[in-house]
Amino acid sequence: MTKGLAFVLALTLAACGIPRDPEGTLARASGGVMRVGVTEAPPWVELGDASPDGIEVRLVERFAEEIDAEIEWIEGSEEEIFSGLRVRELDLVIGGLTAETPWSSEAGITHPYLTTTALVAVPDDTDEPGDIAGLKVGVEANTEIAGLLRKSDAQVVEVDDIADHDGPVAIDNFLTDDLDVVDTGVRLSESDHVFAVPMGENDWMTAVERFLLERPGEIEDLLDELGRP
Amino acid sequence: MRTTRDFELPPDKAGANQRAIRLEWITVGYLVSAIFFLYITLGASQAMKAAWIEDILSLVPPISFLIASRVRRRPPSERYPFGFHRAVSVGYLCASLALAAMGLYILYDSVSKLAAFEHAPIGLVQPWGEPIWLGWFMIPALIYSAVPAVFLGRVKLPLAHELHDKVLFADAKMNKADWLTAVAAMVGVIGIGLGLWWLDPLAAILISLDITRDGIKNLRTATADLMDARPTLIESSALDPLPQRLRTEILSKNWVRDAAVRVREEGHVFFADIQVVPTSAENLISKLAAVARELMDLDWRLHDVVIMPVEKIEDERRADSLRSGAHSSQ
Repeated sequence: MTKGLAFVLALTLAACGIPRDPEGTLARASGGVMRVGVTEAPPWVELGDASPDGIEVRLVERFAEEIDAEIEWIEGSEEEIFSGLRVRELDLVIGGLTAETPWSSEAGITHPYLTTTALVAVPDDTDEPGDIAGLKVGVEANTEIAGLLRKSDAQVVEVDDIADHDGPVAIDNFLTDDLDVVDTGVRLSESDHVFAVPMGENDWMTAVERFLLERPGEIEDLLDELGRP
Repeated sequence: MRTTRDFELPPDKAGANQRAIRLEWITVGYLVSAIFFLYITLGASQAMKAAWIEDILSLVPPISFLIASRVRRRPPSERYPFGFHRAVSVGYLCASLALAAMGLYILYDSVSKLAAFEHAPIGLVQPWGEPIWLGWFMIPALIYSAVPAVFLGRVKLPLAHELHDKVLFADAKMNKADWLTAVAAMVGVIGIGLGLWWLDPLAAILISLDITRDGIKNLRTATADLMDARPTLIESSALDPLPQRLRTEILSKNWVRDAAVRVREEGHVFFADIQVVPTSAENLISKLAAVARELMDLDWRLHDVVIMPVEKIEDERRADSLRSGAHSSQ
């Protein structure tokens, strides 16, 4: 009852075009150009010699297609692109951002479109250990996961390339298939992935959010295809 | 050591007191739920934040009332010979200080957001899988935070009068005025919806001014109470006529040549000390005892009366202030 009512209400009001953009970003980008700030963050954004690629880059490309916009990619450090976003010289910023981003007071942070976890996994042909105390766990050196693993009671084995390591590993959940390992149930952290938009461009922000929230299947497929170790 | 009597409210006020306590418990429970609903719909709206903080602050008066209603019943002790009536005033002072400070903080925060042209971002939420703009949930949450509060305020107001309780009075007034906050916050939220981003910090500024004004007003009253200012009426800063009534009463005795009265408020109740200049010392002790009993019956709030016979009213200023003060209270 409440659900139905709220839905009807939302539809009615969405029809009145609420929320609106104070600066009209959605109207300008639709059928025009959207300026997207990108920074290197594989597998989400990968900047090569050619045009950018990555899970979030592809999502942005599909969104642009939907609103019939051309994309102008602007590469920079996180500080550079967020400064551009703050003064509204950019319309969107991507780069493996999470809901914990320290830039949340400078930008509109979208509803998380995906949650990933850092976990401890073991090769699928070994017995699952009861707990990770004393277990030798491989982890990519100098990463956040390495730091989190060090706080647990596992024995940390730092490696340069996780794909070359045999035995238990600490990795992002979407890598388990690629590495033929299975989740032990030990979680090191959770990340809610988000995009960033200019503050207060709420029509634009909800359009981006709605696009992302309606595509959980596509996002999973992209993660399978591009989420490699 | 002499202590004051240990009961506070006369028997016929017991029912009103019970009702007030029950209402304040209901208020606390309701406010906690309203604070929760506002919190989950808060988003980045400055006006919502102001309304939310105001609701958190409006927990302080009912909680002070409930704590004070226990503490003040304690009988006077060796260490606290005047009893614990002022527990109410202490609670009141804390509550008003919190109000004033938070009001100023939100004011500062909102003005800087307005000055920085900071547009509040509000996106979608997915409570049932259907993505819906969070702004739509803010409005019912605000309505819930206002409508029951107004009714609670209306019921509590007459009780505050009956019990001569300033904390309860401040609380009832705050509840009654809550709809203004809710409407202001709704205007802010709808402003965001319409792309009029500045309506949001502007609404927050209005709410914060209201909070600050409430805080400063109550802070003055609370400080005056603790400074032993002359008792005032509960709903205004007008002087209570009781001191003058006491003086008129005592001057009407034919054995009294002159008198000076000093009354202070200890929370709910009044403590009076009276100097009298008797015409003769004949039967003085029994006359004083009789008049003290008589005065105590004038008003239930009169909790303790000390009468001291003196040769003349020494402190002219004191006598004057009471004489002239008594007139100005009319």
